[in-house]
Amino acid sequence: MTADERRARLRYLVVATLSPLAILGVWWLVAARGLASPIVLPPPSAIWASFVDMAANGYSGVSLWTHVGASLARVSVAFLGGAALGVALGLLRGRSRMIDAVLLAPSELLRPIPPLGLIPLFILWFGIGETSKVLLIFLSVLLIMMVNAQAGVRATSLDSLRAAESMGANRWQVFRFVVLPSALPQVMTGLRVAMGTALTILVASELLGGDRGLGFLILDASSFFRTTYVFAGVAVIGLIGLATDRALAWAGRNIVHWEGRR
Amino acid sequence: MILAARSVAPAEPAPTPPAPVVETLPPVLKFEKVGFAYDGRTIMRDVSFSVAPGELVCLLGPSGCGKTTILNMVAGFLRPTEGAAIVDGREIVGPGPDRGVVFQAAALFDWMTVAENIAFSQRCAGVRKAKRREVAREMAALVGLTGFEDAYPYQLSGGMRQRVGLARVLASKPKVMLMDEPFSALDVQTRETLQEEVLRIRDRTGCTILFVTHAIDEAVFLGDRIFLLNDLKTGAFDAFDVALPAPRCSPENRLHPSFLRLRETIYRRMRH
Ligand SMILES: Nc1ncnc2c1ncn2[C@@H]1O[C@H](COP(=O)(O)OP(=O)(O)O)[C@@H](O)[C@H]1O
Ligand SMILES: [Mg+2]
Repeated sequence: MTADERRARLRYLVVATLSPLAILGVWWLVAARGLASPIVLPPPSAIWASFVDMAANGYSGVSLWTHVGASLARVSVAFLGGAALGVALGLLRGRSRMIDAVLLAPSELLRPIPPLGLIPLFILWFGIGETSKVLLIFLSVLLIMMVNAQAGVRATSLDSLRAAESMGANRWQVFRFVVLPSALPQVMTGLRVAMGTALTILVASELLGGDRGLGFLILDASSFFRTTYVFAGVAVIGLIGLATDRALAWAGRNIVHWEGRR
Repeated sequence: MILAARSVAPAEPAPTPPAPVVETLPPVLKFEKVGFAYDGRTIMRDVSFSVAPGELVCLLGPSGCGKTTILNMVAGFLRPTEGAAIVDGREIVGPGPDRGVVFQAAALFDWMTVAENIAFSQRCAGVRKAKRREVAREMAALVGLTGFEDAYPYQLSGGMRQRVGLARVLASKPKVMLMDEPFSALDVQTRETLQEEVLRIRDRTGCTILFVTHAIDEAVFLGDRIFLLNDLKTGAFDAFDVALPAPRCSPENRLHPSFLRLRETIYRRMRH
């Protein structure tokens, strides 16, 4: 890295850190001046206090970390499973017109349905236990990853396919050495989108009953107008989202190191 | 030999006569009354020629005349709609490592190092890693890329990328090398250096080369023969024998009277 690049990177980090702090500052000012009722917009300090309370004493008889753990477990299982199957199906659709023909209508019919709309059906089919929650997230991740992986396959350049074939690559080798790496940039981007969506659906999926999870915590707190707890729960999900997104972006930059450098 | 082409004799006796042995060997590449149409639109018809082993033939012609189409048929990316394209006595039915392609935009695998790019054909053939590494080092040396084996393509200049493209094809020891305007995007100096490199490599490997270009200078400097493809719809085209002193890779040849004369002849023929 040159000195200029290092300076640009530092500036980026400073701005990226200052921007949320500025929002927090404005928020604090609005709350401190009494411009909004504390029920609607509690001051950051009150939210912090609620967070500390939950961290020490738990929420509704369950420790905060159990809530976080329950949510993370659901998201992880659904994300990993949905991403693996979605990428596999998307790659197959990109490579085989017949498989694409089979999956086109079912997946495109499913995609515009909001997950919330599926909840009644899922309760009917799978009950209100873990299965429904995980499947709801799983399905959303799968659909997103399928679209991205298929689009990634289409990004493979004709010349690189031809180059591989003229160097003696068989169908599998063309896929493994050319198509898969060509699709990777789009797959990595898809993973970030899918993770964001998975966390969104998490809260919805925890509408399906149960007494654990950050979604449950937020919904429960809001029905009792414990706004500071709602905010604290939302903030924890937000932070998880930020952390996973940064981790995925970092992984992407390292795995797809050639992207944008051609 | 040439079937449909009108052969144009050089204006004066060749300073070094073309090697007669070339004429007696069976052709490595042959087009027999090849026709091609894209979705019913005829691009060429009745195109016939043959290329002897070790020969470097330049396909010269204006944009859109069908040079790339010919190359793609030899590579096996396209099938002739009429006639037959034949390599080593067998009709071409698809791509294969006996015919290597150097693309205009290099078409390197950005996710692989230079060494991995170069040894790609070996990897596909199941050659072990240590041996591949050795081949990569050898080929990198042949094209002047020693020390860059572990770099990624995006870390290289345009000229170096084409060197990788060249080395990658050479590694599979092809009978015929197909080059589609490989240097047209490079600056003049790099282009001339690489032209000399191609001739040097040809001398060292004995590879047969079909080289597409729209630059007269390039065709005259590189070619043993030049096919001037003005209109392929009739199947008739001019073929020029190039007579320049050995070693052909000498940059002095660019100023040789034969070079200048042939360049002028072709220029006038292209314009008439
Ligand atoms: N994939 C294609 N589909 C239809 N027409 C094509 C295609 N590729 C090339 N052509 C047409 O075929 C003709 C010859 O093309 P090409 O062989 O690429 O010419 P050159 O390489 O000499 O510039 C051109 O008129 C071009 O428009
Ligand atoms: Mg072309």
